[in-house]
Amino acid sequence: MKIRIDKANCVGNARCWAVSESLFPLDDDGYILIEEADVPPGMEAQARRGARACPERVITIIEDDAH
Amino acid sequence: MTEEATLTAAVPTPAHITESVFYDFDMFYDPAYLADPHKRIQDLLENAPPVFWTPRNGGHWMLVSHTANFEAARDTETFSSEVIPHAQIEAILSQLPADSPPIPRAYPINLDPPLHAKYRQPIQGVFSPKAINKLKESIRKLAGELLDEIVDKGACEFMSAVAQPLPVKVFLKLLGLPVEKFQTYSALVKAHLTATSGDAGEAIGRLQEVANAMRDTILARRDDPRDDLISLLWTIEIDGQPATQQDIENYGVLMFIAGLDTVMQGMGHGVRHLAMNPGLQDELRADPSLISDATEELLRRYTFTVPPRRLNRDIVFEGVQMKKDDRAMLFLPGADLDPNEFPDSNRFELNRGGKPHIAFNAGPHRCLGSHLARVELNILYEEVLARLPKFHLDPERPVKFSGGHIIGVQELYLAWDK
Repeated sequence: MKIRIDKANCVGNARCWAVSESLFPLDDDGYILIEEADVPPGMEAQARRGARACPERVITIIEDDAH
Repeated sequence: MTEEATLTAAVPTPAHITESVFYDFDMFYDPAYLADPHKRIQDLLENAPPVFWTPRNGGHWMLVSHTANFEAARDTETFSSEVIPHAQIEAILSQLPADSPPIPRAYPINLDPPLHAKYRQPIQGVFSPKAINKLKESIRKLAGELLDEIVDKGACEFMSAVAQPLPVKVFLKLLGLPVEKFQTYSALVKAHLTATSGDAGEAIGRLQEVANAMRDTILARRDDPRDDLISLLWTIEIDGQPATQQDIENYGVLMFIAGLDTVMQGMGHGVRHLAMNPGLQDELRADPSLISDATEELLRRYTFTVPPRRLNRDIVFEGVQMKKDDRAMLFLPGADLDPNEFPDSNRFELNRGGKPHIAFNAGPHRCLGSHLARVELNILYEEVLARLPKFHLDPERPVKFSGGHIIGVQELYLAWDK
């Protein structure tokens, strides 16, 4: 699973970070630091919750392709 | 005098306003709104068009649905925050005599991109969640002190006893202003809240008083910095230039108008809901880890700010023809009660699956102080529930509300068993 973030449209709500500080790291201004990251095994539910928590809807979860 | 007589005068309806988008609602004085604001908002969502034009208060659009608010808030090219265009204000100010007292400008709340970012970026770090989290313990101490003063009384008017003084004390602490200024700023908040004339000159005069009251400290910190926000503001650059005394006064005024009565009203709406719902108090006292979810749901259920916008161009928005220079209100309280976005939207629901509200607005003007506001609200609820026994509304003294750009709680009488 991957997290993909439309970083340019982050406005610094930091609601994703409130769900998981490690999955959704912030810069010093409190805006999202990353554009894409792999979700470590076991953290899928937190990744989904973090994505859902974004008021700007800029976080997408890319599920692993089940061949 | 009839209730109708207390409404603002209706202006003539412009030609582009069709009957299907016309709805008469006075966001300052609608009687049902002042009796129970969020109940009236529920009624608007059921009975008014999702985007409507009202002839009251000079005539303006009301964006009520979640979709309309979400889209408009993020379309800053169409929905300008410069209710009076920036260039026009600069032109007026440049005509003033050189020795006239400076007029505070609450940048960047009233600026559009890209200028908006030039004034916002330098202070984002100061209000980041990590920076704000460092203030938690001092905020908790201030909240505890105020609550300790009332706990033995068995009753209080919560707004004057806690909800108004707490944000003022946090503001003094954050900026590094002397605690002796508490009465000065409390009086200024009161004047700001009770101002009804809408006279621009009087409004400017009040903001000048806010700036005057912090000038000594601003100048003192320039030469002798301490661990506070005003000292930090002397170190920032705006668009490559060191911040000036005027810039710092402007930021101070911004924090005053955006950060005091807003947090105060959030506390009022939230504590009123707790007072009306003893079962919820029990649930949160039994498991305080639920209080942060409760803080979010209270913000959603009782969203209370209504930011103004000006149309920058003609547009068909949500199927409605709007014209350049029309005024529009982002009626965020409607957005967060929209049943199309939040099923069973009038119910307070601790677990909404993490679905986000837009009580702090959406888009680039997202409330810069939202992280501070959240911390203040969360700590206040934690301390109220920890220090007060089960409390309820005083049935003899109904809650009083006010309308306008912030839905206010004017009086909130609580009682509890000693």
